[in-house]
Amino acid sequence: MNDERFEARLKAYRLPDVSAALDHRVLQEGRALVEHQPTGTTLQDVGHSLLDVLGFGYVAWLVDLVTATDAEYGVELI
Amino acid sequence: MSSDAECIDGMLRGDSSAFAEIYQRYRTRLQQYARSLVRSRAEAEDVVHDVFIALAKQVSDGRKPRELPAYLYVSVRNRCFDRLRKKTEQRLDEGDLELLVAPPGDAERIGQRRTLERALLALPAEQAEAVVLRTWHDLDFAAIARLQGTSINTALSRYQYGLAKLKKELGADER
Repeated sequence: MNDERFEARLKAYRLPDVSAALDHRVLQEGRALVEHQPTGTTLQDVGHSLLDVLGFGYVAWLVDLVTATDAEYGVELI
Repeated sequence: MSSDAECIDGMLRGDSSAFAEIYQRYRTRLQQYARSLVRSRAEAEDVVHDVFIALAKQVSDGRKPRELPAYLYVSVRNRCFDRLRKKTEQRLDEGDLELLVAPPGDAERIGQRRTLERALLALPAEQAEAVVLRTWHDLDFAAIARLQGTSINTALSRYQYGLAKLKKELGADER
């Protein structure tokens, strides 16, 4: 059997469903967080716009570079 | 259906349905990826939970992830490895792991599902990861390489070696 046929054979398997309990946990806690502090962005956007206008857009870019990555966990390979 | 960027913008405005849309878009893939790494259904659920809650917190703090799929996959990977490092030994939870579901009515695939899962879990971790991400998550080799912190050629080799071993285990190399 060539690789393409074998790959197609594997792809016919689908991924298992997520449990209703996990859906409930994530959606309930996530909803509370998202609805709680919607103003964070506005402050960030205002800050970015201000830096852009003042000609310091690269500062905002640097801040994004540091903060927009997975902040709690750095990439670490085993 | 909104794009990832539109959903993140929705979350920034406090729209929880945007968060739900992102969660529903990625939950199945991330759960299966986490299961393949930590080899435990319960721990994989905890990882997926923690990743999405961290995303909600981050966005609520006004910090957008630049590239959502990469952010989510890296987060799952790092959290799984973090858990694996804390374990004294790798406990396989193969009995009820269920990495894959066979198509209903397909007797051959139903019969081979457990064999395939065992063969997949017996592969070296990087090879199994490359096979899982390429085959069932449709990630390209550049994305797999970035995730594994290696070159595209190495990611491709890992996939090919893994695939060849699976073929052998399933007796598909002789047909």
